Amino acid sequence: MAHGHKSNEKVVFVGDSRVRKKAKTGPSIPPDYSSYPGKSEAFIPNFLLKEWMVGVVVLVGFLVLTIAEPAPLGYPADPTNAAFIPMPDWYFLFLYQFLKLQYVSKDYVVLGTVGIPGVAFGALLLAPFLDTGKERRFYRRPITAILMFMSLISVFYLTKQSWDHYQHELKLTNTIPEHILREEKAREAAEKGQEPGGEAAAAADIPLVDKDDPAVEITKKAQCVACHGADLKGNEGAGIPSFHGIGDTFTKEELVDIVTNGKNNMPSFKDKLSPEEIDQLTTWLAKQKKA
Amino acid sequence: MMKGVYNWIDERLDITPMWRDVADHEVPEHVNPAHHFSAFVYCFGGLTFFITVIQILSGMFLTMYFVPDIINAYKSVDYLQHKVAFGGIVRGMHHWGASLVIVMMFLHTLRVFFTGSYKAPREMNWVVGMLIFFIMLGLGFTGYLLPWDNKAYFATKVGIQIAESVPYIGTYIKELMQGGEIVGAETLTRFFAIHVFFLPGALLALLAAHFFMIRKQGISGPL
Amino acid sequence: MSNHGKQDKANSSAKRGISRRQFLSYTLGGAGAFMAAGMSLPMIRFAVDPILQKKAGGTWIKVVEASKLTNEPQEFKFKIHQVDGWYVSDPELTAWISKDDSGNAFALSPVCKHLGCTIGWNTEKNNEYVCPCHGAHYTKDGKNLVVAPKPLDEYDLKIENDWVYLGPIKANTRVK
Repeated sequence: MAHGHKSNEKVVFVGDSRVRKKAKTGPSIPPDYSSYPGKSEAFIPNFLLKEWMVGVVVLVGFLVLTIAEPAPLGYPADPTNAAFIPMPDWYFLFLYQFLKLQYVSKDYVVLGTVGIPGVAFGALLLAPFLDTGKERRFYRRPITAILMFMSLISVFYLTKQSWDHYQHELKLTNTIPEHILREEKAREAAEKGQEPGGEAAAAADIPLVDKDDPAVEITKKAQCVACHGADLKGNEGAGIPSFHGIGDTFTKEELVDIVTNGKNNMPSFKDKLSPEEIDQLTTWLAKQKKA
Repeated sequence: MMKGVYNWIDERLDITPMWRDVADHEVPEHVNPAHHFSAFVYCFGGLTFFITVIQILSGMFLTMYFVPDIINAYKSVDYLQHKVAFGGIVRGMHHWGASLVIVMMFLHTLRVFFTGSYKAPREMNWVVGMLIFFIMLGLGFTGYLLPWDNKAYFATKVGIQIAESVPYIGTYIKELMQGGEIVGAETLTRFFAIHVFFLPGALLALLAAHFFMIRKQGISGPL
Repeated sequence: MSNHGKQDKANSSAKRGISRRQFLSYTLGGAGAFMAAGMSLPMIRFAVDPILQKKAGGTWIKVVEASKLTNEPQEFKFKIHQVDGWYVSDPELTAWISKDDSGNAFALSPVCKHLGCTIGWNTEKNNEYVCPCHGAHYTKDGKNLVVAPKPLDEYDLKIENDWVYLGPIKANTRVK
């Protein structure tokens, strides 16, 4: 040990913390639990062990969650995607819903985005300076406690309302959230023994056959493009199929039936298009094959 | 051998008192769930820190595969989640941990609030704790964009639009966050830097202050 | 001495069984180790995945008609399909292909074994491979003459239906 100087010579530090100073008890620090002798225990190992027992339980639960429920991942960001219903993470939902309320939107949007949240979070940040009484029990300081309870109730209520509204909208537009859709597709593909994701990527790249066919004009006239997109690639997230390669999925007869009578969310087009036009359109659609 | 090394260092740096202070300080009965089961509410702060450690570690590992670039971000996340062994679990830890840390912190804040533990002399620690809360929300917001899927993109757009409605300086805030005119390549790199360097740095500093003050002032006494 | 005293104490307490404090410390260490392991094992497995991934078997790439080969090394370019994580590309590789005296074709990699520059054939008119960086020289078989520590790497090569196919790269087999 300790080479280079005499080992019996102890290094003495200036202000060595091992030298006990007289404990200064400032007036600001109350003598809380030190005045309960015999009722406390050492941090290590006694107390920390109990904390870590809880930690072990939480960790096991957490790992089970991560294994059971994979983190969601949707489709790559597409700024032109109009069917996507954006939702923030759940802990921002209350703010998101709050901004839809009548008196904090439109002309009063500043009140909603800066005013009320600013006051609420500012008050929370400065709570110790607003609630300066000595009393610590919450039922002995009713104003603070009631304000907190009311904020909590409104946060829970807004979050629930926002989530219900989202579910309602999903039902209304018949949309499956795309991270779920994507996983289902991947599972189906895996069952078929294909590479996951390969098919969807390929579908987007299939070129249209006969781009100058007069039927293309019909797709514009009949407002096909309104749902299936100007590029006619549909919208996977909303269950709207792409026209690219659709001839592989449906025969001409099936296509005539779909256009004439509608299917799922798609309306019937027999009033908007003449039978000749439908024939022309479906002939062209049936030609849309992969290769 | 270990003891020799320890003594050698201790002789020079006098480290024993530092950890002794942490290890041997007495913890009062009223926060010990073994004495009163209701004292489990005092665990939430520690659990928040535990999940934060998981977040930092899993985040470090995720950046081994992640690319903050609009063309490759999605591909790399897809790759690390589906092709790399345990990728789903590591990303799951980071994703669900983000939610869990908010839950734990929420419960911890409520405990401190309803036991009135923020009262003098602990006002500063409450303020620091609230700042940690805001930083965590910021981490959640900036982390959300990184996989660059539809959800990330549109949620970020909405968030930035909210920031834009701030009077007078709104457009500047918006451009500062976006790093340009649109939510795009420059937004992603910016959010990545904020998520990985700036906010965690601030978080660690605030956590250090939080723990220092707890040690200095002790846990608030029983009600 | 004080050390002896401590040891005696430890021995006597071992005879009486471990103390409560020791027991708690061991349990604490165990719980801590469990948490550290549960947390970090998935992450470590995640990080070391590249070294545990199955290496893709070599595929054969059609390069050139066998009739075009001469005793003089010639440079041929060919494309391989490369999947690098999420990045898929078709980079072009180069091989120097020639026949030896008994007419067997072989292909050498152009990467100098010294520091990885690209070599060329006969650039100094001495029928040797020459590296422009630090002047490494190799024989036609790829044997290292000066500077380089090892002979040039070789591609697996097969001839089918009069076409030359190149396979994965391997250490030089022609130089003893």
